Amino acid sequence: MPRPILYVLLVLVALSLIPMGLLYRSHHQAKSQPRIQVVYDMDQQFYYKAQTENPFFPDGVSMHKPPTGTVARGMLAADDTYFRGVAHDTTFVQDIPVKVDRQMLERGQQRFNIYCAPCHGGSGNGNGIVNARAQALAEGTWTPPTDLTSQAVIDRPSGHIYNTISKGIRNMPSYAAQIAPEDRWAVTAYVRALQLSRNATINDVPAANRAALGR
Amino acid sequence: MAPDNHAHDPGQSPGNGSDHHDRFVFPKWTNRLREAVALAALGGVVYLVVLVAGVFAPKNSAIGYAPEQPVAYSHSLHAGELGIDCRYCHVTVETSARANVPPTATCMNCHKTIRTTSPKLALVRQSAETGQPIHWVRVHDLPDFVYFNHAGHVQSGVGCVSCHGRVDRMEVVEQVAPLTMSWCLGCHRNPDPNLRPREFVTAMEWAPEGDAAVLGAKLRAERKIAPSTDCATCHR
Repeated sequence: MPRPILYVLLVLVALSLIPMGLLYRSHHQAKSQPRIQVVYDMDQQFYYKAQTENPFFPDGVSMHKPPTGTVARGMLAADDTYFRGVAHDTTFVQDIPVKVDRQMLERGQQRFNIYCAPCHGGSGNGNGIVNARAQALAEGTWTPPTDLTSQAVIDRPSGHIYNTISKGIRNMPSYAAQIAPEDRWAVTAYVRALQLSRNATINDVPAANRAALGR
Repeated sequence: MAPDNHAHDPGQSPGNGSDHHDRFVFPKWTNRLREAVALAALGGVVYLVVLVAGVFAPKNSAIGYAPEQPVAYSHSLHAGELGIDCRYCHVTVETSARANVPPTATCMNCHKTIRTTSPKLALVRQSAETGQPIHWVRVHDLPDFVYFNHAGHVQSGVGCVSCHGRVDRMEVVEQVAPLTMSWCLGCHRNPDPNLRPREFVTAMEWAPEGDAAVLGAKLRAERKIAPSTDCATCHR
């Protein structure tokens, strides 16, 4: 076989290895580029989806907040006691204005562990993992979270705790976007349960169960 | 080869040295050309099949997609080391079809007072000041002709980890599942191994004590979970 033909063939074989090499790499490595769509189909349709950019509006987003001064149907939240934790005389309500039962407390525990425990800790004593990390990083701007089982918080009306979740307090931001009103009361109830448990004595344990605690 | 070569050395064939006629004689090596071309054609077809199959295989095209994000947010730090629940940020996952990407305000819950001068967070602070959202890059993107509902799956007890993998170990989020129709149907036909008690839905390390399929079958019966395989379930 003449040399030039042989060389051309060898070059072709060598070139054919490049796509295979790319394939091998894409099989084993993370890819920073999205999938190449050979057949476009209707995979990406040209309408605006949740949380996408939208150049049509001045703020550039496709999801809009309701215009100022408008209320969506069913979202009036007129009940001040339930939605703001205040009584008619605008002081915080003392008691939780909804029925507290086991199911509600368990919901409160679950929500507390998701949204509150990172800072306030699972037992509410103010030493959650985020606090621990902030202390370890020696962040000067960090204020340790309140011990929710302290006397100061025990003395607060339930409406105050609800309001703190809704609006935030000092360095704590509002959790209104993350915790729905119903769940805020459940969390409030669970905070009350934590306060009871953290300050409980052996006399609070039913006599039948004391043996389990070794007392 | 250039045609004027023929006059001097037709075919460059050593066994044909005496032939000086002015005509083209196929050199000896071309005797096998037909077989060689057939072999090459076969090889080419095999090559193309492997290449096309490889390009379309989810393992090569979809799995492993890990785009660079505008902010180097580490799930491995926040969800792994700190153990913050998925739902702290992805609030809507239990109640809505979409698991939201959190607004900058969620970042600022902590970063208002932690790492306030970190250059890594410059874009987050800028977004908080201007109100302009950060351009996060979507990792898991189903075709637009497919309906998927996060809430339905989470409420049925399909763990985050079943589809998203160990996000709590990912420095950069990476797609681990093919998200193809056959993959969806695999679970819709046999959901048991991927069902867990609802309270462990976001628990990345949770594993059942016994056989996952046995527990899954029990949960499925209890909660009357009957995943549909009708076309219109997803293509609606």
